[in-house]
Amino acid sequence: MKKILAITIRDIRLRFSSFSEWLFFLIMPIFFTLLLSGGTGGNSDNRVLLVVVDRAQTPLSAELIATLENSESVHPELMTQEDGENRFDSRRISALLIIPAGFDQSALENGSLTLELRQQPNNLNALVAQGAVQAVISRVGQAVEIARRSVAEAEKIKAFQSAADRQAYFDEALASAQTLLDKSPDRISENQGNTPAQIEYDPRANSSAGQLITWVFIPLIGLSELFAYERQKGTLRRILTTPTRKVTYIFGTIFGQVLIALAQMALLVGFGILVMKLNWGQNVPALIAMLVAGALAAAALGTMLGTFVKSAAQAQGLSIMLGMVMALMGGCWYPLELFPQAVRNVVKILPTTWAMQGLLDIVLRGQGLAAILPEAGVLLGFAAVFFGIGIWRFRYE
Amino acid sequence: MRKLFLIGLKDLKLVFRDKAALIFMLLAPFLLTLGMGFVTGQFGGSGSGISNIPVGIVNQDGGQLGNALVELFQSKDLSDLVVATIIEDPAAARQQVDEDKFAAAVIIPTGFTESIIPSAGQIDASPAVQLVIYNNPTRPTSAGVVKTILEEFVNRLEVGRVGGTVIVTQLVTKGLISPAQVAAVAVQMGQQQVKSLDENSVIKLNSNVASESTVNFNPLAYIAPAMALMFLMYTVSNGGRTLLVERNQGTLPRLLVSPTGSAQVLGGKIFGIYLTGVVQMLILIVGSTLLFRLQWGDPLAVFVLVLAAVFGASGWGMLITSLAKRPGQISAIGSALMLTFGVLGGSFVNLEVMPTWVQFVSKITPNAWGLDGFSTLALGGGLGLIIKPILGLLVMGLVLFTISLALFNRRGMTMK
Repeated sequence: MKKILAITIRDIRLRFSSFSEWLFFLIMPIFFTLLLSGGTGGNSDNRVLLVVVDRAQTPLSAELIATLENSESVHPELMTQEDGENRFDSRRISALLIIPAGFDQSALENGSLTLELRQQPNNLNALVAQGAVQAVISRVGQAVEIARRSVAEAEKIKAFQSAADRQAYFDEALASAQTLLDKSPDRISENQGNTPAQIEYDPRANSSAGQLITWVFIPLIGLSELFAYERQKGTLRRILTTPTRKVTYIFGTIFGQVLIALAQMALLVGFGILVMKLNWGQNVPALIAMLVAGALAAAALGTMLGTFVKSAAQAQGLSIMLGMVMALMGGCWYPLELFPQAVRNVVKILPTTWAMQGLLDIVLRGQGLAAILPEAGVLLGFAAVFFGIGIWRFRYE
Repeated sequence: MRKLFLIGLKDLKLVFRDKAALIFMLLAPFLLTLGMGFVTGQFGGSGSGISNIPVGIVNQDGGQLGNALVELFQSKDLSDLVVATIIEDPAAARQQVDEDKFAAAVIIPTGFTESIIPSAGQIDASPAVQLVIYNNPTRPTSAGVVKTILEEFVNRLEVGRVGGTVIVTQLVTKGLISPAQVAAVAVQMGQQQVKSLDENSVIKLNSNVASESTVNFNPLAYIAPAMALMFLMYTVSNGGRTLLVERNQGTLPRLLVSPTGSAQVLGGKIFGIYLTGVVQMLILIVGSTLLFRLQWGDPLAVFVLVLAAVFGASGWGMLITSLAKRPGQISAIGSALMLTFGVLGGSFVNLEVMPTWVQFVSKITPNAWGLDGFSTLALGGGLGLIIKPILGLLVMGLVLFTISLALFNRRGMTMK
């Protein structure tokens, strides 16, 4: 035990001997978490930006824009045609809506109007904008359409005596339709997943959990670099001359890195609770179980990798690359729900997928220890397999 | 000049013999492009990654509209998007959402149909009965899609209901139909109203998709350069690191003992870094063209942009080198800069959704300028349209190289 502690303390001292370590330990994880969760101020509106050029400047165009502002999927931003087109041509926006001159109520009542929507090709945001605009114009135009239908139905039964009578019938129907549509009851009741603590969905929780995993997995997989470095420098050979068993050395090295990782995770979780006001602390035993299981799985992967790589530089490159790819594919950067089903099935072979799932269960779904046991169990399984291979393949030279 | 080229070529050969460097320079960008391609559904056979959203539906209504909603979720049109499962018990449906088996549960309460279609002899329907959507908080996008489907359905019903009410009320008040005909006419009018709105919207939307007629833009044409530019930052900082390594190992002073000027040595080293960056970018471009069948656009313009992007990125590599004291420092700061520029420059997240200050700050990254240019070219643009990003990259490189040379000079690295 004394030897394990001695190795641990030496590794911790070595790792934090350089200030740049703090860059990866705390500064960048916090910066990335804040940036990707929209917590850096400015654009906190997650709706798709829709630039609108209002060449009509009429009450009807204002109504259209106001209805767009109430949309849950797009947020309109008014611009001049020149600015809008410049931004669209330089692909800084996904969609540009142009309301033409003459877009007013009388024109609407007497015929049909056309809006122009310019979309970037194969752009998901542009498709969202199209759907939102389509829904809004249908809402704005539907009262007029109802009034027209009303007139047509009346005419089927009996012709109007004069154009004035017809117009009066139309106006009455239009007013009535607008009143009824305005008073339309809300017919959808939306509830978030019911959790024991009544946790509200917070998209920043995804970012906090994802970045935590990313920035903890990368240095832990980087354990391979430590093994490779010591093997390259010959310090591992020197250990052979001491009465230190292979397992003691490996566990001493891993123990120190896992301790550092747990401290790092505690700091990031603390940041999430205190600064981002996330519900990390609502089930501490479950959280501890997930963090320990995740750290062990990542450290074991690093140990195993350390027995395959030949040089420290190779290990460094591989650990950052593997860490990033595994984080990306494990849903740490983008929600897994965006992945095709086949890919969602395949990424279950990654520890990051299980770590992310377990942490989201805690922070977003308010689940307890019993609910995250499968995820923690799988992570411990990964740890056992990777450690097993690592110890089996470990060589001092 | 010849010596400068020889030193540069020697460094290029050395880098491409280093397996560790190759992992970062070539393998990592390919793997991340592949990963991002999966996220965006580019390899899944569909335009978007969102598909087969599991939804639980509880139809307690059992009426005409409740059944219509179930049919809508089970329709062929939505078969790729949602997988609807009918469940009897609302509590069981909610539980499956809580267990992450469904992205959402839709509960159609008893009386939903009657709250929209009036009963016989009535003009107005019963008080509104709300559909309940129970969202999975860990699948916000999928739950949002389900909600959109519901909103569209409800909107059509509402228009039908209001249309029927207005038409029938007017017909009755003007004496055109008798009160006995009200219920039948109301239902008929409502249904016709919904149908007519689908067919003839009074406001039409003319959607123009930019460049679609000439170029079929593949999102991978954004992702691949995004990853290539991010890992270009690794290459240039790694080049700077070797400069300090050589100084520490004594090979640099040995070179200076030979009849080679310090400016030639430093110039050769910088040229080597630049050359390595250009070769890395060209390999990634050719590789992704062959592997992902990407169209990068006008080859000459792509080449010019590569030269400019590597120049801008090399400037950053030189600046880090001129500031660092140890090779390890360059590795750490280089990796940090690579990832930070990746996020700030739009390699991971589209800059459009970033805060305004990020969009502004992104201009200091070669990633943002480079991506701007590569996207323009992939959309069919030519050299004339990428003058701005090219100038941006050249100015960036010039400023950074000037600062770096001043710092090198101050540290005596250009002195023999």
